[in-house]
Amino acid sequence: MAIPTRARSARLIVVALVSVSLLTITVDYREGDNGPLASLGRTALTVMSPLQEVVSKVTHPIGNFFSTLVRLPAIRTENEDLKDRLAQAESQLATASQVEQRLHEVEGLLGVTQSLGPNVRTIAAQVIAKGVSNFEWTITINEGSNHGIKLDQPVVASGKRLVGHVVRVAPDSSIVQLIVDPDSAVAGRLEFSRTTGLLTGQSDQDMKMGLVDTTTEVQAGEQVFTAGYRIPGGAQSMYPPGILIGTVSHVVPDVAALEKFITVAPAVDFSSLDIVLVVLSGGSR
Amino acid sequence: MRRFLTLATVIVTALLLQTTVLADIRLLGARPELMYLLTIVFAMLEGPSSGAVTGFAGGMAQDFLLNQPKGITALTLTLLGYAVGLLRQYVVSPSPVLPVVVVASGTFCGVLFYGLVSFLLGQFDSTAVYLFRVAGLSAAYNAILTPLVYPVLRRAAEASRSRRVVRW
Repeated sequence: MAIPTRARSARLIVVALVSVSLLTITVDYREGDNGPLASLGRTALTVMSPLQEVVSKVTHPIGNFFSTLVRLPAIRTENEDLKDRLAQAESQLATASQVEQRLHEVEGLLGVTQSLGPNVRTIAAQVIAKGVSNFEWTITINEGSNHGIKLDQPVVASGKRLVGHVVRVAPDSSIVQLIVDPDSAVAGRLEFSRTTGLLTGQSDQDMKMGLVDTTTEVQAGEQVFTAGYRIPGGAQSMYPPGILIGTVSHVVPDVAALEKFITVAPAVDFSSLDIVLVVLSGGSR
Repeated sequence: MRRFLTLATVIVTALLLQTTVLADIRLLGARPELMYLLTIVFAMLEGPSSGAVTGFAGGMAQDFLLNQPKGITALTLTLLGYAVGLLRQYVVSPSPVLPVVVVASGTFCGVLFYGLVSFLLGQFDSTAVYLFRVAGLSAAYNAILTPLVYPVLRRAAEASRSRRVVRW
């Protein structure tokens, strides 16, 4: 009869243990945080915590690994989400820098408008296309005769730098011939000597400045502005005076020639033009 | 003495694992309940009285590290160990899946009982839905851990028992 005895003893043990448990619950419940059981619990915690710390140090990476493994799908979606947001932020940043650049440009144009004088009316236009041909150096802008643009009106960029003049006008767009176009001729005045000459375009090379007296002292780096008046032997200037054309890049000292050979680098980078200013009145007279 | 040492070692190890490794693995708001697993396995291997003692010791150990009325886990696990030990005597099946099933259902009932006692003591401040979810998840996790833990515990139990057999 071993089994009944064992069963009875088991029952006894369980009854005893359950009683102890209930007693513990009751005592602890009544005493709250200040009883002996609570302090015993604190002691247990004190004993266990260093062990826990050690084990935790060893196993934390393992646990991390597993929890990462389990959270992998979530992490992946999070990763994609973050990538999306990064791309968005980057594009926003690019837009912002573009906007900033444009702001600078517009501010520059504003300065030009003010510096041209109170009587000069101007209109800002956006460059919408570059010349289609390799032999034509033009840009297309999004303003036309509807906005008061007429043939031969000068076009400047921010910083009061000369771009060219209008050669064709449509109701809502116009074509501007750049000063580097071989057909373009601009009367220019040298910064220091105040000597005038005629600048003709040479496509993608620097402009040539002709009709300059051989005795004139010219230095490389000297700035050239529009002369704004009729020069002997040249066409009447359609540009208002004092607009920067470019800087002298080369002076060929040719004593035998009748005129000096000067090349001028345009002040405007025509490949990066965005907004230009068309001078509506006060240019040609 | 050897039994006591084995039990103490197993319980302390389980407690450490429960509070460190398994504390990091908290899936869907629940984690494995190692002490339940331990109690159930010991009860299956050793019978109702050993199950009850193991459950009581493990539960007390865990209770004293918890900041709530001590003894609830001990009560739960004592009864759980006893019940599983009793049931085991009536189920004769060599199936290797049996421990997994017993652990799962035992953990589920145990966690529910624990929640009930806490509720009666005014210590339970979650909803019944949450309790059932935690019970179900803990049961599932314990079931998954069973194939890993069961052989280890069986070896420990057999090692501690062999001495007794020799002595008796």
